[in-house]
Amino acid sequence: MINRKETLRYLGYLGQKIDEQTQKFIEEVEVELENSSSPKSIYREYNCDINGDTILIDGLVINSANLAKNLKECKHVVLLAATIGRAADMMIKKYAVTNLAKSVIVQAAGAAYIESYVDEIEETIRKYAKEQELYLRPRFSPGYGDFSLEYQKDIFAMLECSRRIGITLTEGNLMIPTKSVTAVIGLTTKERASCQKETCSQCEKQDCEFRQREIIMPCGVL
Amino acid sequence: MNFIDRLGTELLFFDGAMGTMLQEQGLQSGELPEIWNDTKEEVILNIHKRYLEAGCNIVKANTFGINSFKLKDSGYSCEELTEKGIKLVKRAIAESKKEAYTALDIGSLGKLLEPLGELSFEEAYTSFQQVCIAGEQAGADLCLIETMNDTYEMKAAILAAKENTKLPIVVTMVLDENGKLLTGADMEAAVAMLEGLRVDALGLNCGFGPDVMKNFLPQLREVCSLPLVVNPNAGLPVVVNGKTCYHVGPEEFAKIMRKIALEGVSILGGCCGTTPAHIQALVQACKDIKPLEITEKNRSVVSSYTHAVLFEQKPKIIGERINPTGKSRFKQALREKDLEYIYKEALMQQEKGAHILDVNVGLPEIDEVEMMKEVVVGLQGITDLPLQIDTSDAIAMEMAMRLYNGKPLLNSVNGKQESMDTVFPLVAKYGGMIVCLTLDENGIPETAKGRIEIAEKIIKEAAKYGIKKKDLLIDTLTMTISTGQENAQITLEALHYVREVLEVHTTLGVSNISFGLPQREKVNTAFFTIALSQGLSAGIINPNSEAMMSAYYAYCALNGSDSQCTNYINLYSEAKQPNVMSSNNNEITLFDAVVKGLVESARQAAKKELKTRPPLAVIDEELIPALDQVGQGFEKKTVFLPQLLMSAEAAKAGFDAIKEHLKVQGDTSASKGTIVIATVKGDIHDIGKNIVKVLLENYGFQVIDLGKDVEPEIVVEAAKTNHVKLVGLSALMTTTVANMELTIQQLKKELPECKIMVGGAVLTQTYADMIGADFYSKDAMGSVRYANDLFDINN
Repeated sequence: MINRKETLRYLGYLGQKIDEQTQKFIEEVEVELENSSSPKSIYREYNCDINGDTILIDGLVINSANLAKNLKECKHVVLLAATIGRAADMMIKKYAVTNLAKSVIVQAAGAAYIESYVDEIEETIRKYAKEQELYLRPRFSPGYGDFSLEYQKDIFAMLECSRRIGITLTEGNLMIPTKSVTAVIGLTTKERASCQKETCSQCEKQDCEFRQREIIMPCGVL
Repeated sequence: MNFIDRLGTELLFFDGAMGTMLQEQGLQSGELPEIWNDTKEEVILNIHKRYLEAGCNIVKANTFGINSFKLKDSGYSCEELTEKGIKLVKRAIAESKKEAYTALDIGSLGKLLEPLGELSFEEAYTSFQQVCIAGEQAGADLCLIETMNDTYEMKAAILAAKENTKLPIVVTMVLDENGKLLTGADMEAAVAMLEGLRVDALGLNCGFGPDVMKNFLPQLREVCSLPLVVNPNAGLPVVVNGKTCYHVGPEEFAKIMRKIALEGVSILGGCCGTTPAHIQALVQACKDIKPLEITEKNRSVVSSYTHAVLFEQKPKIIGERINPTGKSRFKQALREKDLEYIYKEALMQQEKGAHILDVNVGLPEIDEVEMMKEVVVGLQGITDLPLQIDTSDAIAMEMAMRLYNGKPLLNSVNGKQESMDTVFPLVAKYGGMIVCLTLDENGIPETAKGRIEIAEKIIKEAAKYGIKKKDLLIDTLTMTISTGQENAQITLEALHYVREVLEVHTTLGVSNISFGLPQREKVNTAFFTIALSQGLSAGIINPNSEAMMSAYYAYCALNGSDSQCTNYINLYSEAKQPNVMSSNNNEITLFDAVVKGLVESARQAAKKELKTRPPLAVIDEELIPALDQVGQGFEKKTVFLPQLLMSAEAAKAGFDAIKEHLKVQGDTSASKGTIVIATVKGDIHDIGKNIVKVLLENYGFQVIDLGKDVEPEIVVEAAKTNHVKLVGLSALMTTTVANMELTIQQLKKELPECKIMVGGAVLTQTYADMIGADFYSKDAMGSVRYANDLFDINN
């Protein structure tokens, strides 16, 4: 399900009046995107060893202080990859020709869609972890802080992303389909160390225009 | 006996998984298994031997992952690992003293092809080519292209194998739970393309266990006339303690596979999780089964990268609008390389109900081959309709067929020997259905009999190339009734005969019938309806004509191909009120139409304004003030981004109306100036750049859009050749800002006078200063203001 509020946030929405046509476009895009996307995911659990800023996940060595901090004291991690598929990218291209506003709305709705899809997967993992009395750390993706995008290559090889769910990497380690996510999720024995979900308010980039903030929605928008 | 002779006459057996066996032997996840062809050849050799002992008669070489992308930093060449891989199978066969075939195993490159990905079709081809050549040289008996989830990549691999080797080709694909490839293609589309490319066998592998795969096979059998291959996993992968496991054991696997074999397949084997024990059980369970005879399904079908279009009782619409003949605006678009205009024509026809789009981009003054390549690739990025490649240039036709992602329709061949000698070899090689014009060296026969004879001649000649009647679409040629009243009758009589007696599908370019007459649509519609009733399989028409499409939908309701008239009722039950918008719009001013973002109203209002005011006044007093108001609203955050864009598009429609008006008056007023924009190398995000483009265009600038992932050299080149004084660069990722800096350095070196503005999510003023940009624009309106200031001062 696409979360309308998130779509609006990605569009840089600040509570302006939304006219009828915009409202209609948003609704049409959501329907078309949900009907034509086929979300897919793959995740696997690995043992994990942390030594200072170095993390060892089943033969993969990662150097990242931020990730090491995130995974503090975790003995297990889950590597996760997910995508909503190519439909969003195709729609963005198509609407760039016929209706630029819709193209931008697909961009935002696609971002909202993949996030909520990954949240769903995370819930499944959370349940599985709980059976073993393990709790989830907030998910952490290549590109966050000092966790280099270069590690995308390794995660892709370990999860066989291209073969299993059709995500591929560009030379610059960006994912296509673009509405895709890879992440490391630490499994901790300490319930308190886990938190439900890391919000973007923890990010260092204070002036980001997409930063989550409380917006009062006019009636009828959602 | 060779592989091809046995294929389809007896059951053959592939071996099982390689990866699973190697993991047991200590292969790390992420490690390249093919390197073991060099470092642990005994391990590989033993696995092959165990499968041979189990009774398989086709052994897959350990070459699945060999390609120039995966091996890039490995220190190995594709050729040497391929050669070693093939030789290990051959050694295993020789040492086991078994009779078996060696399959060169080719997997996906792991890169996405254009238009969504960054890999071009020819680059993919080249990579497959290396492996194919090395594999054949090392002694492979066949080429297995497997675990494929993208038709375009399959096509590159098949062509590489066909053009560089003599090996038989077997292709197996992975489906998702909906029975589709990851690209969204259904089985029918994939089979249409694969049969067109004349592979020797096709089927499914990986993804599921035999139980699930079995459910997809009836559908596959229904559309496929080739021997089938089934290589399932040992069930679905399950992760236990960090290890991937498969739970379907050898006996259960073999039991289901026996059922599959009895329902009709030619080759059975295994994929992930299957072991020599699985294969042994499989061979034991199935070896007494004779494969069912493979029947010709006789389907007349073309396909796109997502779906197939079948010629059948329900006639089809081929949209004729992508064609410059008699269209000055279209010719201009071709000369100016305004591809967006062509794409809009495509999407409009799709919206109106076309099933296939004719693509003709021939114009004497342009390079048709290059234009055809670009348009075919471009159209595949925005529409999923199959294309009809329409050209008389054989090279343009071949290039388009090569780059086409599916089984195309071709337009056309005719009864001239030279035409048939040129076109039929292309159809035999790439696959496709083809429109056959009933004319020859002596021109167009004036009798139905004469046209039928040419049709028969074409059918006979096609057969020499193995092109069956099902792949022909005979055009009995529409001639205008204004020069001969009997013309309609001749065309229809021949059409009826071709369809009913020769049993070949038919097509007509319908609108020729009324050439030279007033109110042509009236005649066209009547002729179209008669032709449909005489057996027209596909009309080449203008789908934007409401009258023609109504005739079509009514006909389908009448001939029973619109089941329960559902389609007709859905289309016409609500009394459509197409004029409501425009009647309201009469009252709306151009200014308001732009502010409200109403595209069609803005176009109409602009046309109306032009009757009473000079064009410049319309721009300065209506369009620009409206844009300014919306732009300021956006900057003050009272207007929301999609609304800004709707206004921009409405303004663009207004500008287009004005341009059209000026052209009629012979006025070619210059733009304010030319600006080059691009998303820098390595970055694939271009929405921000697209927004900037439309706004700059609104304010009267001519924008040269170089697209995304653009090399610095190309930016410099474009800026040079067009003598621009402003370049706009966009980057979204921190990692690509470095390429932005590189582009700026090269620009500053080559064109010190040229100004550079930058924008994108990660940029800040500080960052922009650091990399040497002249201006940082925090949003699209900022770039408009900067461009306005810059060009005002310079003027």
